Amino acid sequence: MTMPLLDITGDVCPMTFVKVKMGLQQIAPPGKLNVRLKEEALKNVISSLKAEGHRVTNVSREGTIFLLEVEKTSGATK
Amino acid sequence: MSEAGYKELKKGGMMRQAEAGLFSVRLHVVGGRLATPQLRAIQDAADRFGRGEIHLTSRQGVEIPFVPQDSLSVLKEFLAPSGVGVGVCGPTVRTVTACQGCRVCPSGVIDSPELAEAVDRELYGKPVPHKFKVGISGCVNNCMKAEENDAGIKGWIEPRWEKSACDFCGICEAVCPSKAIVISAGDGRLVIDPELCIGCGDCITSCPSGSMREKSRGYRIFAGGKFGRRPSLGKRILGVLRTKEEAMEAILAVLDFFRVHGKPRERFGDTLQGTGYPALETFVKRRTGLG
Repeated sequence: MTMPLLDITGDVCPMTFVKVKMGLQQIAPPGKLNVRLKEEALKNVISSLKAEGHRVTNVSREGTIFLLEVEKTSGATK
Repeated sequence: MSEAGYKELKKGGMMRQAEAGLFSVRLHVVGGRLATPQLRAIQDAADRFGRGEIHLTSRQGVEIPFVPQDSLSVLKEFLAPSGVGVGVCGPTVRTVTACQGCRVCPSGVIDSPELAEAVDRELYGKPVPHKFKVGISGCVNNCMKAEENDAGIKGWIEPRWEKSACDFCGICEAVCPSKAIVISAGDGRLVIDPELCIGCGDCITSCPSGSMREKSRGYRIFAGGKFGRRPSLGKRILGVLRTKEEAMEAILAVLDFFRVHGKPRERFGDTLQGTGYPALETFVKRRTGLG
């Protein structure tokens, strides 16, 4: 099964955060979501993911665009 | 009234106004914090002795303008029971400013109001060669503009890198606002330049693997800043201090240095132009034993 991809390279905070949250809602733990985002969204997206108990399990990049593999952990609070 | 008389009044926070016989009364406020009964007393005082106006100063102070000279001592007595004292002016340690700090602000690293209270208790109104301002920011977002003060403090997070957990994803390097992190994934190296690091902790917050960690969180001291006619920014001295007691010791030592080397009517920044910052650092380190 291919992993769903969420592209938020065209969004700015707080929509980056909102879209990642909504994207994760579609997934049953311990499912994964790929998030494609710009450098400037990294800090807020990753810190909110961590705060809600999810994990970033892989990171790759194409220049200033990052691709995060996010695992929705079963113990996640939201 | 004689010039000497005015000077004495000014030292006690009574500022002569443009219009003869009227004074703007400066009040003692620490870190911009007042309890509601104090605010009510200030309101009543402004109505009773001034013209129902209150001036909020640029450094979190409060003044009651338009007070006639013969009301000054009555006004002082009126405010005293509410715990509102009058302020200071002249060559003294001035209002200690602070943000709300880590007890209120989600970004806060240190309890800035707590340190402000301590500095105020120890130093407010104490004589120095020229006015001396202390400002305390709870984090490096620096709402209190540490570098504009003769002595400024910022809450600071110092990162350290744990190689074993790192997969060299490059996120810390990308999020670092001061380009203090350089990764050479090929040779498994990552370097944090402590001179460039601004202590924000963004690398720690963003690290997915938990390999960027806190080395220390605490207080960073800046010295020699001022505004006025010829503004200049303070520069940081010493390493990250761990406790408010250490921060307090450092400030006391900085002030001692100013007392030794400062000339009357010379701001600390100008004193440091003469002595250089290394002399200050050496003095403070020797005095406090801090690094």
